[in-house]
Amino acid sequence: MAKEKPNPEKLLPLTSSVFHILLALSDGDLHGYGIMQEVAEHTGGQIKLGPGTLYGAIKRLLGNGMIVETDERPDPEMDDERRRYYRLTDFGQQVLKAEVQRISRLVSVAQRKRLLPKRT
Amino acid sequence: MSLSKRIFQLMLLAYPREFRLEYGSDMTQLFRDCYRDIQRTGLICAIAFWRRMILDVIRTAPLERWEALERRYKTMKNLKGDLIGLVACAAILVATFLLFGYGRRHEIGTIWMFALDAIVTAGVVSNLIIFPLVMATRLSAFRTALWTLLLVNGALLLIATLIGNRADPEFNFSAVFAAYVVSFVFWLTFHWLRSQMRPQLS
Repeated sequence: MAKEKPNPEKLLPLTSSVFHILLALSDGDLHGYGIMQEVAEHTGGQIKLGPGTLYGAIKRLLGNGMIVETDERPDPEMDDERRRYYRLTDFGQQVLKAEVQRISRLVSVAQRKRLLPKRT
Repeated sequence: MSLSKRIFQLMLLAYPREFRLEYGSDMTQLFRDCYRDIQRTGLICAIAFWRRMILDVIRTAPLERWEALERRYKTMKNLKGDLIGLVACAAILVATFLLFGYGRRHEIGTIWMFALDAIVTAGVVSNLIIFPLVMATRLSAFRTALWTLLLVNGALLLIATLIGNRADPEFNFSAVFAAYVVSFVFWLTFHWLRSQMRPQLS
């Protein structure tokens, strides 16, 4: 029997590592090291996921259906077959969008309170 | 590299066995990739790298251990619930058998004898299906009980009707029907009470 997916809003707020992993996977399938590099890149090196943090989060994301393991390889010639690739599911995408909207609402509040300059 | 890899693999022992089996090699691979990246950098970077790895294990291993413990506890709780249910079920059957014997000796009214008879027969057959099925598959205990009891009581009623009509000219269908309804309600109530006391695995 297929497990019913919960409302994406109920999973918010996401932890920082989960949010960054989902964000990294939103561009395409990646393996563990790829996710780690992507996260380090888009946070300017501020967040460097350790193996335990990364695979603990991956285990939980697989468990609630936000990501899946995929057999497809982006570039088979360059690839190491032992690596496992992960892909964002539709449900994972919904959760990520919900989290981005939540953060965007927070940014609006900060702008109204003049804690952030308004974008033109 | 080999020594660093060995040290990291020793650090992985802090994680529960299931987690290591599932992700241990991926984590070692990730460690090797990261280690390769810092090899060309200086000593300070290497120290920062090891500090990050150690802190990562300290932060995440207890969480994984705790989750593994919780999973084991849930399974144990369910097994305990099944065992209590089985014992209670056996106790009910023994009590019903004793009542049945008492009723026969003291010639208690037929309808009650029918009901006790139905409870014993349907109880033995249904529970022999329900308990192994719920233990082996982790299906919803109450739903499994509902459908099994419905099918078993229905089948026994059908058999009793078919055989009873031929074997006994004074066969009382309404009494037998009432007996199986009583048996169904009795065992369903028992399994409902069990499902209320027993947590379900999500």
